[in-house]
Amino acid sequence: MISSELAFYAPATLAEALEQLAAAEYGATILAGGMSLVPTMNLGLARPETVISLNRIDELAYIEEDADTIRIGAMTRHRDLIGHPIVQAHCPSVAAAASVIGDVQIRNRGTIGGSVAHADPAGDYLPVLAAAGATAVVRSATSERRIGAREFVVDIMRTALEPGELLTELELPKLPADGGSAFVRLARVEGAFAIVNAAAVTSGGSATIAVGGATASPAVAEVAGDASLEEAGDAVYEATEDAFGDLSGSAEYRREMARVYARRALAEARDAAANGGGAQ
Amino acid sequence: MGYVGKGVPSLTNTRLVAGRGQFVDDIALPDMTHVAVLRSPYAHARIRSIDTSAAESLPGVIHVITGDEVKANMNAIPETYDTGAVGAKGVKWYALCLDRARYVGEAVAAVVAEDKFAAYEARDLIEVDYEELPVVADPEAAMSDDAPLVEPDWGDNIMATRDITLGDPDAAFAEADGVATGSVRSSRITGSAIEPRGCMASYDPYDDQLTFWDSTQNPHPLRQYLAGTLGVPDTSIRVIQPHVGGAFGLKMPTFQEEPLVAYLARKLGRPVKWIEERTENFQTGGHARDTRFRYDVAYKDDGEVTGIRLEVLADVGAPTALCGWGMSFVTWYCLPCVYKIPNSETHLRSVVTNKCPWNAYRGYGKDAASFLMDRIMDHVARETGLPRADVRFKNFIPADEFPYPQVSGAMLDSGNYAAALEKVLDMVGYDDFPRQQEEALAEGRYLGLGIGQELIPEGCSMPGSLILNGSDGVEVRVSPTGDVTALTGITSPGSGNETGIAQIVADGLGCELSRVRVIQGDTESCPWGFGNYSARSIIIGGSAAQLAAGDIREKMALVAGRMLEADPADLEFSEGNVTVKGTPGQAVSFDDVASDVYRNPHGANMEETEPALEATRHFKIGNVYHQPEKQGRFSAYPSWPNGAAACIVEVDPETGQIEILKYCMVHDAGTIVNPLLADANLHGGIAQGLGAALYEQIVYDEAAQPLTATFMDYTIPTAVEIPRMELAHQETPTPFTPLGTKGVGESGVGAPLGALCNAVEDAFPDLDITLNEVPLTPSRVWSAIQEAKTGAPEREAVSR
Repeated sequence: MISSELAFYAPATLAEALEQLAAAEYGATILAGGMSLVPTMNLGLARPETVISLNRIDELAYIEEDADTIRIGAMTRHRDLIGHPIVQAHCPSVAAAASVIGDVQIRNRGTIGGSVAHADPAGDYLPVLAAAGATAVVRSATSERRIGAREFVVDIMRTALEPGELLTELELPKLPADGGSAFVRLARVEGAFAIVNAAAVTSGGSATIAVGGATASPAVAEVAGDASLEEAGDAVYEATEDAFGDLSGSAEYRREMARVYARRALAEARDAAANGGGAQ
Repeated sequence: MGYVGKGVPSLTNTRLVAGRGQFVDDIALPDMTHVAVLRSPYAHARIRSIDTSAAESLPGVIHVITGDEVKANMNAIPETYDTGAVGAKGVKWYALCLDRARYVGEAVAAVVAEDKFAAYEARDLIEVDYEELPVVADPEAAMSDDAPLVEPDWGDNIMATRDITLGDPDAAFAEADGVATGSVRSSRITGSAIEPRGCMASYDPYDDQLTFWDSTQNPHPLRQYLAGTLGVPDTSIRVIQPHVGGAFGLKMPTFQEEPLVAYLARKLGRPVKWIEERTENFQTGGHARDTRFRYDVAYKDDGEVTGIRLEVLADVGAPTALCGWGMSFVTWYCLPCVYKIPNSETHLRSVVTNKCPWNAYRGYGKDAASFLMDRIMDHVARETGLPRADVRFKNFIPADEFPYPQVSGAMLDSGNYAAALEKVLDMVGYDDFPRQQEEALAEGRYLGLGIGQELIPEGCSMPGSLILNGSDGVEVRVSPTGDVTALTGITSPGSGNETGIAQIVADGLGCELSRVRVIQGDTESCPWGFGNYSARSIIIGGSAAQLAAGDIREKMALVAGRMLEADPADLEFSEGNVTVKGTPGQAVSFDDVASDVYRNPHGANMEETEPALEATRHFKIGNVYHQPEKQGRFSAYPSWPNGAAACIVEVDPETGQIEILKYCMVHDAGTIVNPLLADANLHGGIAQGLGAALYEQIVYDEAAQPLTATFMDYTIPTAVEIPRMELAHQETPTPFTPLGTKGVGESGVGAPLGALCNAVEDAFPDLDITLNEVPLTPSRVWSAIQEAKTGAPEREAVSR
């Protein structure tokens, strides 16, 4: 349980949140859905002195589309992504990932921005964003910058966010008409963190596969459009040299599963493309 | 006729489903205080000093207690399982560590505060000066001559030893056609009750009465242990068991926190509550199963097993007053389970380490014994090339040889193992499976079939024990209006035994079930009894209920006979009416008889008859022999339920993931009082067995630091992962209970281990895979497949 006292802010606007973040002398911890932060605090593993909740900031919860991209506000709940027509039409893997995170309560409360910024190596959005070539939009009280999804996670639970910065939006390119995408995962039980999770996007003459869970940030491989599944798996295997092991699987096992799930993700993405499953 | 044998829905369903159960944390009293316990972060450390000043000065803190205060004011906690009575070593365990902590999580100090927040904050302000001591983290290392000692006074780390020989194993091995050797390992696990531990105490100094609410299984024994620890008369303590959100054995007394909370309430004169957190539960709530086996088996070419040598090495964690270490004894005690093996040599070493102590967990070690024997039978099948089922049929104790004396001294009451296996093979489609497997293989799918056999003895009755005891009491009262109350010494952890008791009482009295109210879990109102464990509630408590109801029925028949001018022997009691056999019009209602007993104690119908309709009876189960015979053997388990399971799995060879396509079990618990609730118990037992077979393991590192702290690290299956189960009952009644009931509370938990290992091996007929260690995590299965593919030579197809 959380027994230590802390300063708690619940601003109603983004501007206010960024000011409070800038003003926090020793830094502040951002509370999005709280599905990871609150358990961590309950266990006494995190003891933040200042917490800024984004839960009252309605302007950060949205799903919008432009001609070539869709933009998702950081405070969009997993639940709202699952069945959303824009997401389903243009980035169905985001919905697929959202639909298997935790359990119903977690999906009702947790947010895409919180999950991405938490940067758990097994986070389900990370391979989806990496494979899609998404962009993270980051704001501070004085600036805004854009970081490629593949550069956003720099180590286990560490991101490229600088002090005073907040992840506000994720921007994904729409899947082209002839493209396909897929998201698959290996987990011990339903609701558990993935041992590995994999996303694939096929587009024109190439395919991109990103596998999470085995390494600090998703391992990404790009292969030719006609590459065999084995080649794709091997390319991902090569990209997971720094795989780690834990109680759910050794490093060797995770690397092998990265290979297997890369193949499975690519096969499904190709099926989706063949069935017109990409952009509808 | 009657309620026994009917699937009556549990009487507690509506309340629990409505969310209106009352668990210990739901109880609140004015002026209540809260406890937080400071636990050792080291697996083994001397406590040099404790500075409580910062904690004490925090606003809201009422009291901080350390081992010094405990030593000055409390006795050691009495042992639940009398180590002396079975020749094992014991320790003096106190409500807080006095000068040494022996595992991560052992209680070192505690804070009482006005609210939980202050208690936890103050807990973190207590400063303990520890001196780290050498750690014993592995049971094999613990046996070496230069191992550090968990208990310096002991001289070694061995808590219990058993070596028993039956027949002439040396000759059997010399004359065998073949000898197979192997090892088997069952991982350390825990029971994961959704409600963690918790208790609350309130003291009335004017009446010298301590009321103690506890999520416990055993109110009367707990009262004895609390009184013993506090040094007060047992009559000054009342233990109440509210609803319990899962127990599985793990809520058997006595934990450090229980006497601690009782002491604090008496000292402070205010109600004191302690509710455990999940992380504390994983560290200190009791572990189980951590057992390694080595076996040598001598067999004939026809599959007959003629001799075995078995070594059991159990890592029971740190020694305490808890009864969990006894599971290692019971593992050994069950061997060689359902098989008749004339020449046996069994060895037990129960070894202590600097890990969480064991506490009882569903299966109580019987699971591990069944697992070992399944692996041995499959090994013999592999070596002889005989079908797996045939090897089992060849070696079963024949149905006509009961009661059967086991090598350990156990006396198996009844059983028909071959019939149960035959039936389950039929259910799973054993004969047709090779075709099914071949068809699947043609599609690139790997299917395997496995068999598991379990023997789960019940009604544990240990010599000299004030808890593990083969007797229990029930009081039945029929009121002046004919309404019925049954007060029991047994308790329910949510398993539904109150419903079974009501059925037995309603039948015993010949009244409607709706009249019967069952009261459990209060030492002030319920008769003496030992509570819930070892599936004893129906076999022992139910038998006492039947006796008590029978006494009242007898008196009511006497009075009704006088009212109807009929011979009591000619009366029929049914659904609240008393009629005379063969004389349809001649009847009196159950209510009228009750009314007459109470209104007219001096009337003609009550002549020479004691007033009122209240009877308390205590039942003592037979088939228990405590006088040790040669080699010190004794018989502690009266009843031997058993079962055969078979399953079909599909294995993903690329990932090692296992999907259970079919799970069947034929179970023999003797007479079934309530088939609906018996199945519900089997569902739970099988689910926990599958958890142990596929998912669960408590992991420690080399410094005996636990790595599994939450359900994120400790995987348990949920309803999503548990397959639909096909269950059937074979009823071979025991001669030792009046109804022939044998107990079903732990059943189902033993067979999945062997069945799953065997099924996964069977899925790869062309590979030499041996899986003798659970859980079968995907990585473990995957590694075994890889090793078989790259390393070991191919072997002949697995026989079936």
